[in-house]
Amino acid sequence: MTSRVKTAAQVLALACVAGLLALLVWSVVHQEHAPGVGATAPAFTLHRLEGPGKVSLASYRGKPVVLNFWASWCEPCKSEAAVLQRDWTTYRNRGVVFLGVDYHDLDSDARRFVSAHALTFPMLEDGSGTVTGRYGISQVPETYVLNRQGRVVAHLRGPITDPGFAGQFQTAIAKAAA
Amino acid sequence: MLRLAAAMAAALVFAAPAAACAHPRTSMNYLQGQVMCPTCHTTLAMSDSPAAQRIRVFVAKRIAACWTAEQIESALVANYGQGILAAPSHKGFDLLAWWLPIVGVLAGAIVLAFGVWRWSRRKEPEEPDGPAGSGLDEETERRLDDLLARFD
Repeated sequence: MTSRVKTAAQVLALACVAGLLALLVWSVVHQEHAPGVGATAPAFTLHRLEGPGKVSLASYRGKPVVLNFWASWCEPCKSEAAVLQRDWTTYRNRGVVFLGVDYHDLDSDARRFVSAHALTFPMLEDGSGTVTGRYGISQVPETYVLNRQGRVVAHLRGPITDPGFAGQFQTAIAKAAA
Repeated sequence: MLRLAAAMAAALVFAAPAAACAHPRTSMNYLQGQVMCPTCHTTLAMSDSPAAQRIRVFVAKRIAACWTAEQIESALVANYGQGILAAPSHKGFDLLAWWLPIVGVLAGAIVLAFGVWRWSRRKEPEEPDGPAGSGLDEETERRLDDLLARFD
């Protein structure tokens, strides 16, 4: 009886250790990484920031997409907004889609930001940061340029107004639209 | 005189919303410990990031408007998701987070108690063989006496 209890306790302890190990492995395997150039951009469906309805990335398949992650509390996003709006008006006639994803933000603040910067391209809300996490966003602003197949052409970690990114951004859009 | 009038006006301005509250006003300090900063993953109290500052302003406005802590937390959850709360909710799957540590501690206590009980039972039957409870057998007792006799 005693040895049976001892064996059961040992099995239980081993099971606990194995469970914890499995949990560790699972968390390492499922860690979210930014999709690299050439990888398929993670699919998502998000609520529109202004107005009802949802927008799915899949609905833009066949079109080049500029995916800009921003937040109203982000200082560099303010200077970037005007440039994004200007580029959007330039490229929209060439079939390029611009999508803004507001991250970890208050809806009211985000709407105020959109209105203050007169942004007219579609804005989506990701308050919980679920989608943003799948894109490996650590700091806003960050911008992805996707080609017609939904693959990443460029990932710019910083404002597109950054001198190092300005040329890269235009090149990436041209490449995505080709 | 002017100072007194200004102080009274200020008191009236700040006292008006307080008096309008039908329940005790929730405190900023309390909520700062209950709400997480979404970008830095610490509580609001420990963060000074721009996102945390915006949430603080949001909370302060609602406290001034007599919102309860639950109402403010619900509004934040609607905006940021459940992850904005420092502690999991008391319903559904989140209940596990509250009960598992208690179950773990209880299980540990039971295992410990069982171990102690078995250990004490194993010790009980061991009766000393030597005389007057010295705990030594006759041979060892005799050799010890011999050794001690040399020092006499």
